[in-house]
Amino acid sequence: MKRNDNREGIKGMANPGRYGIERFAYWLMRITGLGLLAYLIGHVYETSNIINGKSAWENMLSITQTTEGHVFLTLVIGMCVFHTANGIRVMLGHGGYGVGKPARPDYPYTPASQNSMHKLCIYASIGIAALAMMYGLSVLFGE
Amino acid sequence: MRESTIMKIHYATALGAVVLVAVHVLFRITMGSFSGSLEYEQVLANYKFVPYAVMLELILVLLSVHGFNGLRVILLELKQGRSYEKAVTYGCIAGMTCLVAFGSRTILMASMGMT
Repeated sequence: MKRNDNREGIKGMANPGRYGIERFAYWLMRITGLGLLAYLIGHVYETSNIINGKSAWENMLSITQTTEGHVFLTLVIGMCVFHTANGIRVMLGHGGYGVGKPARPDYPYTPASQNSMHKLCIYASIGIAALAMMYGLSVLFGE
Repeated sequence: MRESTIMKIHYATALGAVVLVAVHVLFRITMGSFSGSLEYEQVLANYKFVPYAVMLELILVLLSVHGFNGLRVILLELKQGRSYEKAVTYGCIAGMTCLVAFGSRTILMASMGMT
């Protein structure tokens, strides 16, 4: 048997069903991070039109200030809020807050760091992101 | 640089960016309507207000460092190897430098009225 026969690679790593909400948060953190980096690059390019004069700026606004543009911006708001809230949870976890006290590993080897508080924080991050998206929609479409 | 130091920079840039981006977004939604805050004259006036331009520059640097270091971490999680890791690190530094240079050019030119 070859050493790598049982290896699932990225597909196995990406499977959110096997490891619960923590794995889901892990992937959501990375996907939102990449999305926000892409948005940052696009936003820097988009705003650079200001130096080309008023007509160039208004041309750019006519592309971005549309229904599709507002829906996209709402998604960016959601990504940003989730990434921030979950990032603060991860930072606190790395700092040793909320991960439980070290103890002898006994059967059934429940990891103290994957406790209900962290799970609750992940659900709260998703909830806050949804609320922020709703607020964003009301601001963008409520004019 | 040690990986632990890089992660401290990653977290510090994140916290700084959260505060400054919140101010940046508040500027858009508290100055009348959202679409009104995007009018050419309004945006240009924002750039010419020096403290705001400095804040934009800080946001650009903080988010570029945080974003490209995050990309580096994701790419290093997927694959490892001496030459691959070097290529990813230098590629991310190059990307970050280009983005900061391009964004700074816009901020400088707009704040100096070179439009």
